[in-house]
Amino acid sequence: MVDLTQYLPILIFLVIAVGLSSAFVFLPMGVARLTGAHKPEPAKLTEYECGFPAFEDARSQFDVRFYLVAILFIIFDLEAAFLFPWAVSLEEIGWAGWATMMIFLAELTLGLVYAWKKGALDWE
Amino acid sequence: MIQAIVFLPLLAALIAGLGQRIIGTTASKILTTGALFTSCALSWPIFLSFVMGTGEAEVVTVLHWVSSGALQFNWELRVDTLTAVMLVVITTVSALVHLYSWGYMEEDPDQPRFFAYLSLFTFAMLMLVTANNLVQMFFGWEGVGLASYLLIGFWYKKPSANAAAIKAFVVNRVGDLGFMLGIFGTFLVFGTVSIPEILAAAPGMAGSTITFMGMRLDTMTILCLLLFIGAMGKSAQLGLHTWLPDAMEGPTPVSALIHAATMVTAGVFMVCRLSPMFETSEVALGVVTFVGAATCLFAATVGTTQWDIKRVIAYSTCSQLGYMFFAAGVGAYGAAMFHLFTHAFFKALLFLGAGSVIHAMHHEQDMRYYGGLRKHIPITFWAMMMGTLAITGVGIAGVAGFAGFHSKDGILEAAFAAGGGGVIAFWVGIFAALLTSFYSWRLVFLTFYGKPRWEQSEHIQHAVHDDHGHGHDDHAHAAQGDHHHDAHHSASGDGTAGYHPHESPVSMIIPLVLLSIGAVFAGYAFKYQFIYPEQGLAFWNGSMLAYDAELMHHSHQVDTWVKWTPFTVMAIGLFLAWNSYIRNTTLPARFVAQFKLLHQFLYNKWYFDELYNVLFVKPAFWIGRFFWKKGDEGTIDRFGPDGAAALVAGGTRLAVRLQSGYVYGYAFVMLLGLVGLASWAMVNFL
Amino acid sequence: MTADLALIWPELILTIGGLITLMLGTFLGDRQVGIYQLSALLTLAAAAAAVVALFGVETTVFSGTLSVDGFGGFAKLLIYAASFVCILIAPRFFSGGMRAEYPTLIVFAALGMGIMASARDLMTLYVGLELNSLAAYVLASFMRTDERSSEAGLKYFVLGALASGMLLYGISLLYGFTGTTDFAGIAAAMGGQLNIGLIFGIVFVLAGLGFKVSAVPFHMWTPDVYEGAPTPVTTFFASAPKVAAMALMTRVVIDAMGPALGAWQQIIIFLALASIILGAVGAIGQKNIKRLLAYSSINNVGFMLIGLAAGTQQGVEGVLTYLLVYVVTTLGAFLVVLQLRDADGNQIESIPALAGLSQRRPGLAAAMAVFMFSLAGIPPLFGFWPKYLVFEAAVNANLVPLAVAGIVASVIGAFYYIAIIKMMYFDDKSDTEIPAGGGAIVEDAVITASALWLSVIGYLFIPVLAVVSASAAAVLF
Repeated sequence: MVDLTQYLPILIFLVIAVGLSSAFVFLPMGVARLTGAHKPEPAKLTEYECGFPAFEDARSQFDVRFYLVAILFIIFDLEAAFLFPWAVSLEEIGWAGWATMMIFLAELTLGLVYAWKKGALDWE
Repeated sequence: MIQAIVFLPLLAALIAGLGQRIIGTTASKILTTGALFTSCALSWPIFLSFVMGTGEAEVVTVLHWVSSGALQFNWELRVDTLTAVMLVVITTVSALVHLYSWGYMEEDPDQPRFFAYLSLFTFAMLMLVTANNLVQMFFGWEGVGLASYLLIGFWYKKPSANAAAIKAFVVNRVGDLGFMLGIFGTFLVFGTVSIPEILAAAPGMAGSTITFMGMRLDTMTILCLLLFIGAMGKSAQLGLHTWLPDAMEGPTPVSALIHAATMVTAGVFMVCRLSPMFETSEVALGVVTFVGAATCLFAATVGTTQWDIKRVIAYSTCSQLGYMFFAAGVGAYGAAMFHLFTHAFFKALLFLGAGSVIHAMHHEQDMRYYGGLRKHIPITFWAMMMGTLAITGVGIAGVAGFAGFHSKDGILEAAFAAGGGGVIAFWVGIFAALLTSFYSWRLVFLTFYGKPRWEQSEHIQHAVHDDHGHGHDDHAHAAQGDHHHDAHHSASGDGTAGYHPHESPVSMIIPLVLLSIGAVFAGYAFKYQFIYPEQGLAFWNGSMLAYDAELMHHSHQVDTWVKWTPFTVMAIGLFLAWNSYIRNTTLPARFVAQFKLLHQFLYNKWYFDELYNVLFVKPAFWIGRFFWKKGDEGTIDRFGPDGAAALVAGGTRLAVRLQSGYVYGYAFVMLLGLVGLASWAMVNFL
Repeated sequence: MTADLALIWPELILTIGGLITLMLGTFLGDRQVGIYQLSALLTLAAAAAAVVALFGVETTVFSGTLSVDGFGGFAKLLIYAASFVCILIAPRFFSGGMRAEYPTLIVFAALGMGIMASARDLMTLYVGLELNSLAAYVLASFMRTDERSSEAGLKYFVLGALASGMLLYGISLLYGFTGTTDFAGIAAAMGGQLNIGLIFGIVFVLAGLGFKVSAVPFHMWTPDVYEGAPTPVTTFFASAPKVAAMALMTRVVIDAMGPALGAWQQIIIFLALASIILGAVGAIGQKNIKRLLAYSSINNVGFMLIGLAAGTQQGVEGVLTYLLVYVVTTLGAFLVVLQLRDADGNQIESIPALAGLSQRRPGLAAAMAVFMFSLAGIPPLFGFWPKYLVFEAAVNANLVPLAVAGIVASVIGAFYYIAIIKMMYFDDKSDTEIPAGGGAIVEDAVITASALWLSVIGYLFIPVLAVVSASAAAVLF
């Protein structure tokens, strides 16, 4: 039988998360209703997200350069993610570990150089 | 020497057959013909040495052949009197036929092949007659069968020739099966296939019995009957005779060599060679006599009604072979061989003469379109005359006569002297002799006498219209054509349609002349050696162990009326023929109208072909078709190669369809496979 | 750990050499084909030399995640050689379109394949496999302006991702039920009581690996990718990765799953038979020579799997020999295809265009005939020998029905190989002109050498081959 008591923190976390997100959603709505004028029109009622219309045809024109930048971003993002565990265990893995990470970084740098030389970083 | 006689034709056949492109047509012809004349020249001294009584029988070993347990035999060439007789017959006729073919086949594009086949045939025939064991004899036996097949079907573009060749081959298979079983049985009983050993042991086996198909039967009767079935097939005896008339589709020289003088006599030779075996079985001898006599009568009756000149002679051959067999059946082996010997000459002569007529008449073979040829082709006419005189047996008893007179009368007298069934055979033979005389003279009268009737012949019309101004030799294509005769009427009133036959070239005339000499003198010259008691005994010299000197002695002591009867019936036959075809030419038509049924029966050869068609050919076709359609195509092919191929083709279509090009389809297949494998592994595990 | 570095010289050389090649291309420009090509070739040659230098070493490095042994060495040499040839022939094909990425990617792929061949841990297995795959996806769509090439790359990528998913799921199952990713540890766990989780793990891992060797039913990508990818890339796909994936699969089933023979043998048998039959049947309807060779590779993988299904040392020897002969034959066949250009210099891929090739290009036709006969496994040619070995192994492992089925299916396969020969030699000339391509000295030399080796000379190598493959296979047992 699984000891469910171990999952209590998670349950508490879930409750708090649900509560907070509900508050974020409904609190502004409630406050606005109480304080401001209520004159609904289509533009006001549409969902708002990041400056894009929330619902439209997925087959929209999309500049491939976004994609390129995103990929480059992910690579270096992951590099940073690798650095954390490496940094905390550096004492144990010693110089060999240090050298390994340096080689990894060097390889990554070469990749950056390649991308740079190929013009991947130039927007125009 | 004997090796040279036997193997020269083979060598020539191989060179001419395989190397014809290299050495050319003329060289092929010279080579084969030269080889045969050499063989012939070497054969006669052997024969004459036996005639003089100086010859010694010998056996020459050529090669070791089979040594397998108890079965041991070699390639051996046996030379004794019996072989020597066959040697001269074969090599002489073959050499002359080779020479004759120079003229006859002149226009044919495939001459080297033809000559190679002829030489090959001669080799096989020589192999047969020199055999010292049954297996080698069988080798030769099959070899001549093959050559015969190839030569009958020589004009392979002609469907009827192909059909005839197949028919000859298939009918011979029946006989060959008997022969093979006979050989197997002989080996089983005697433990050897060596002919001398078998013959030495045969008398001791008389009366022994063997279980065959669940019955206790007399051993020697069984063996002899099986062997005789082989002889019947090869020698076209009643029952297995149907291929011989059809074999006339082959070129005429082939008919002369194979289907008159040599191959068809192989059965007679075999019976004579194995005579001590046959002597041990009364039943077998009775069957031989009966079949021989029946064939003799049957073929003669059919011969009286046929219109095709070659078919008449073919039935005549069949009939004469019947004489030989019943001679052997009554124990007169010497007489049988004697008739074989003389018959070879006069029958080859008749065929070659007929060939000469056909050659002159642009391959027209129907005697109804002949007539009055006596003046146009006189040498041919006289040669045919000699042949006819020989076959009808013209001669004065006790003095001299043509070849056939001595041999045929010898047979009839021996049959009469043998008593018992022989007397019946005698009377049948006498009646057949009457018919022989009738159809032979009918042939001569229709062909050479009367008025020309060839204006209605399609072949002649063809020759006159198409080949006008090109000479008359351009007839090779006509031979390939069919034989329908449209009733056209030509403008010229003399029945010649403006066509005038010419005598054949000298290469065809020489064989005719030489064979004429044989047809006239062969009987008188050698009668003492073949059928006289003491001389015969010395001549055969143990080569034919069953030679019955006593019977021969009796045969010369028969009553005078017996000796004169054959001549008398010959005269009657001659008169009837003269009466019907020269004096009163409307008589045959009236006779036919009167006895329509009888004529139809004879004209259609006693309906043997039709009977066999219903009894054997149709069922065989049906069985064949059944096995082909249902068995082979329906079962083996369907579930075997065709089925597998269809399965593969279907699989291919499926594989191609699965390969749709859509990624989701591919992913689906992968997942399906994964699920399948996982399920399988799970079920397997649980 | 530093000592371990000395044992992975081949991998180090490839890494550094690959980076150098990339930098050369980046800084000197794609025009300097000779320089970066030479760099890549030298890298591969040096790596091969390093493998040879490590001959006789049999150990594991990095905490038992990679092995250094004869088995891996054999596979690596074959992989490097095939990659070498694929780089060698590329400039002629791409002519103006050659870029430095091509040799670089092949070198990196070779690196990944080398890791696959020596992996003895599920982690290194996956890293090697993905390193190879990522390079391969890009290579497939190397001619990015060409529709078919892009399509091939995308299809390969999507389906490859699916297969990777299966593999990873299998790996996680194996890890979950054995508590280790180490092959030896998994084998120890398999030696005990099996359970359904392990069985599923085995199935999923084999499915993922089956994708890489393109065994039916995980073969669907093969014809499309082979057809769409540029011919040198297809040549590469058909040769080196097959070796790596087959070596990996062999190591996994023998080393990691060896004790659970009963659990995986039937799966391998199914993959083998399905591949042989579908490879043979599917090839018959093809009109494109590259597609046909794709089916041919599926078919041949099936035969290799027969040797693997035996699960014996003899079977593994057969697989290794088969790989060698197969790689030589396939390289030769694709090189012949590469030589086929029409009067305008366009690549010819249609099979009907081969009709009457013996009259236009007798030498090429003769070589192609040798390769086809060899692929069909017709005795005088060397292609017969490995087939014989795998069948013998199967028979000795009491898998007689499998051997019989394989032999029967090889008859179906012989049909389309011989159909090509018939077309080249007995059919009337096709309308397509195939002028003699001058100056293809390297290609001609490779074709000639492989054709000769396959025709008769190969048989002289049998004793050597037997010793080498036996010592390589012995490592696993």
